[in-house]
Amino acid sequence: MDIEASDLIVGLLMAALGLVGLLLASGAHDNEMYVFGLSMAAWAVLFVFGLMRRHFDRADAARVAVRAAGGRHE
Amino acid sequence: MSDTMVTAPAGFAPATRLPAVDYNEAVVKKFVIAAVFWGVVAFLVGVYLATELAWPQFNLGLAFTNFGRLRPVHTSAGIFAFGGSALFGTSFYVVQRTCRARLFGGDALANFVFWGYQFFIVMAALSYVMGFSQGQEYAEPEWHLDLLLTVVWVAYAVIFIGTLMKRQEPHIYVANWFYLAFILTVAVLHIGNNIALPVSVFSAKSYQAASGVQNAMIQWWYGHNAVGFFLTAGFLGMMYYFIPKAANRPVYSYRLSIVHFWSLIFLYIWAGPHHLHWTALPDWTQTLGMAFSVMLWMPSWGGMINGMMTLSGAWDKLRTDPGLRFSVTAVGFYGMATFEGPVMSIRDVNALSHYTDWGIGHVHSGALGWVAFITFGALYYLVPVLWKRSGLYSNRLASWHYWIATLGIVFYISSMWVAGIMQGLMWRAYDAFGFLQYSFAESVVAVHPYYVIRMMGGVLFLSGALIMVYNFIQTVRSPDTAPRAVTPLPAGLAVAGE
Repeated sequence: MDIEASDLIVGLLMAALGLVGLLLASGAHDNEMYVFGLSMAAWAVLFVFGLMRRHFDRADAARVAVRAAGGRHE
Repeated sequence: MSDTMVTAPAGFAPATRLPAVDYNEAVVKKFVIAAVFWGVVAFLVGVYLATELAWPQFNLGLAFTNFGRLRPVHTSAGIFAFGGSALFGTSFYVVQRTCRARLFGGDALANFVFWGYQFFIVMAALSYVMGFSQGQEYAEPEWHLDLLLTVVWVAYAVIFIGTLMKRQEPHIYVANWFYLAFILTVAVLHIGNNIALPVSVFSAKSYQAASGVQNAMIQWWYGHNAVGFFLTAGFLGMMYYFIPKAANRPVYSYRLSIVHFWSLIFLYIWAGPHHLHWTALPDWTQTLGMAFSVMLWMPSWGGMINGMMTLSGAWDKLRTDPGLRFSVTAVGFYGMATFEGPVMSIRDVNALSHYTDWGIGHVHSGALGWVAFITFGALYYLVPVLWKRSGLYSNRLASWHYWIATLGIVFYISSMWVAGIMQGLMWRAYDAFGFLQYSFAESVVAVHPYYVIRMMGGVLFLSGALIMVYNFIQTVRSPDTAPRAVTPLPAGLAVAGE
């Protein structure tokens, strides 16, 4: 199953945000920036896991639909 | 796109069958849940703050529970978290249905907008209680949070405008015009008011590009248009969709809705200086702000009349549909608050009202009476529709919510009117020798009973919201609200109404 363009673009955006978060946390001068940077990195990781989960959920659903229709799924 | 076909509405094109659109309702559901959750948080923090104001011991001597830090948590939770989630959710619902198109940009982008906005809210609230703020009212988040919100907002605009562009309907329904004005203008306001230079890229502290009275002017250009475009235009979009849907009537005058839209957005943008009467701002600027604020009365009441008159021929539904009752009462509060605002913007009235609790009462007649009530109306409509239930779990509980919340608003705004006018009169009173008659502390003591009444009003409003939460949970979970199956009538038996 192909990766949707939307998933790819948003995934790359989240990866960039996560890296920015790590960078901000690494050099933080205050608690606020440290907490914000780490939280953004954690959010980015969770979001990308969510993208992957939904991708495979869709693939599974498509496979089940093909089987139900009596066809074969490659 | 699903394969299901639906019959075209009467008069559209008799033989045409339109393909049913597979709308993205998942993101709308998430925003609905978020709006309900943040509403309760906002009302709860509000009640706590009202308690602190009546009895300062409730500050508890802790930095993160003092009024200065919790106040922006309350305002941001109310405006941006509760109101914002409701606006995102309803705009996504309305734009899909009125354009007959699934949201542009795919599910991932819609999810990014939802989770990005929730992340921004949580991070902003956390930064306030940690003591970080720009010190700009309703724009407290520091520069890094402002940048994050900008990214999320651009994604939101891309989805909304993209959906409009791929619409299957020739016409852009008026609700979408209001939502679009909200999205575009808030983007401009947010960027314009947050131009700041960070101390370091690794520091949360920044300084505004403008200073002194220029900064104040930009802040209130932002602040008043946050009221005008976030809390008014966006929620008018909600009004123009959900009242006609709930009443099952067309908008009273579509032409009036267009006049309402253009006059409102043209006039609102100039009204900000009325927040700075009797300050270092040039007199002509204050007069300009005052004049445009008074002119705003006309489009505001035009919109109110349009919303009210949409019920022509369907007023009986107010007895049976508590959600619609919330929406129509909201329009009444909209009319009241948009009359009171221009009155308070007149410089000589403002000399009495400014810095007093009259302002707080005015804001809450708009926030509770207009914003929260129109949202409750939309939520009572949306929850059964989105979760495919036959109706609300209990109309009676929704009625209880309505009356308890209305009573809470009456407690709140009437106590703040009395307290505010009394404060204004006490602060300006002087004796025969020209000395001030009252010390500031005496005015604080004098308003104490009204602060207690205000807190009780907040408790009532919160209680109503908790009843709504219970009603929604039961609506989704209770078998009583399961979609009714269509059962064919037995052949040869004529039974009406089964």
